[in-house]
Amino acid sequence: MLLWRAATVLFAIVLLYPLAGLLVPVGAWRWGGSATLDAVRVSLVLTAIAMIVVVAVGTPMALFVARATARERLAWQAILLVSVLVPPLALGILITLAFGPHALGAYLDRVGLKMTNTPFAFVVTQVYVSIGYYILGAIAALDAVPTGLAVQAGLLGADRWSTFWRVTFPLARLGFTVALSLAWVRALTEFGAVVVTAYYPAGMPVAIWTGLENFGLPAVMPLLVVFLLTALPLPWLAHVFAQRRIARA
Amino acid sequence: MLDARVVKARAPFTVDVLLRVARGASCGLFGASGAGKSTILACIAGAETPDGGTIELDGRRLYPPAIPLHERSLGYLTQDAALFPHLRVGENIRFGLPPPQRRLRSVWIDELVERLELGALWNASVRAISGGQARRVALARMLAPRPPLVLLDEPFTGLDRHLVRELLAAIVAWQRELGFTLVVVDHDADILARLAPRVVAIEAGRTVQDGAWDDIRTHPATPLLERLLAPL
Repeated sequence: MLLWRAATVLFAIVLLYPLAGLLVPVGAWRWGGSATLDAVRVSLVLTAIAMIVVVAVGTPMALFVARATARERLAWQAILLVSVLVPPLALGILITLAFGPHALGAYLDRVGLKMTNTPFAFVVTQVYVSIGYYILGAIAALDAVPTGLAVQAGLLGADRWSTFWRVTFPLARLGFTVALSLAWVRALTEFGAVVVTAYYPAGMPVAIWTGLENFGLPAVMPLLVVFLLTALPLPWLAHVFAQRRIARA
Repeated sequence: MLDARVVKARAPFTVDVLLRVARGASCGLFGASGAGKSTILACIAGAETPDGGTIELDGRRLYPPAIPLHERSLGYLTQDAALFPHLRVGENIRFGLPPPQRRLRSVWIDELVERLELGALWNASVRAISGGQARRVALARMLAPRPPLVLLDEPFTGLDRHLVRELLAAIVAWQRELGFTLVVVDHDADILARLAPRVVAIEAGRTVQDGAWDDIRTHPATPLLERLLAPL
């Protein structure tokens, strides 16, 4: 048992070791000025907008799939898995083609929505890469609420909406938060798909990559720290709280 | 009045039972495990959707089409107390009351709480109470909105005899007071006899006998019924 514990501690050290990279001397860190700030703003604002879309569209979808018959549910989950499993770079190329001028893009252009190098393209891509994670997580959160509770709430006079707000959501809240945090980190850190569809406006991942290419490590380290701070804490805390809740139950 | 014909396919047979219970009367469903008794109750409650038949309560059609749970006006209690774990005992009990009454303690709620000895638990978390206490809270929660029909599906399983005796006495008294129609399923003949003078015996999804307890006890219609009613 002691040996096992020691091995686990060693594993944890190895797992977290890449973070030690922040301490490696690479020369004086240089804050990139307004361009860096723009990248932070683009990432945070557009990811927040994408998350609003993900929650607004994904929550009703998750409720529908969670309540579907077993066969129907399998079909919906298979479709959701496709969106999760498509490699990001491939997804970026496919989005560019499918929303390009020879397809849906022709119609979007007419209403002023351009799907290349615009905030709209950025948000659409983020929604595509993250909504599957949110919906699958939300379904798991809904599954964890016993169906007998919704039956009792209904028989006690609560309609579906009221049952959701008074019973289902309070009990699934933490699961929804975990799902949202996964979607957040997936969208915020997306590089492969976004670099194809929305090289401009550059968010943090693209800005770090171009900064690294053009100016080297000292120029990207400050943005890297901001990137880590905006990506890590929310999902980390959500998971820690979820595990605490499970441990207490 | 409950007027129901419940048809529900389930392996290895189809439940097809006609059940008529006058308003304010009681009826017990008796039979071996897996005979389809709980399926009948679940279909009437709306927890399951029947495959056929009709269900009417006091002239109101519940099925078909299956009306939403919140429009059914009935109470349904099973072995699983199904308390809302994020709410306290008092909040569970008042869950089914209309919003203005939800914040107040009415005479009726006080009576439920007192008779079921839940006063000391009013502010307790439902995660912290025992199984027997949870069953009492579930009974209070079910009766708080004064439903015209009460369905009990073996809600006393696993409780000690003393508590069961008290709960039975309370249900009988409240039925007299509130006048609700009662349909109860239990594998324990003594419990059924205490709650319902009339019993419908079910075997493999079909009614095999319908009558007073004494008749069924003295003249069981099938060998299986005879074995179920025989002393240990």
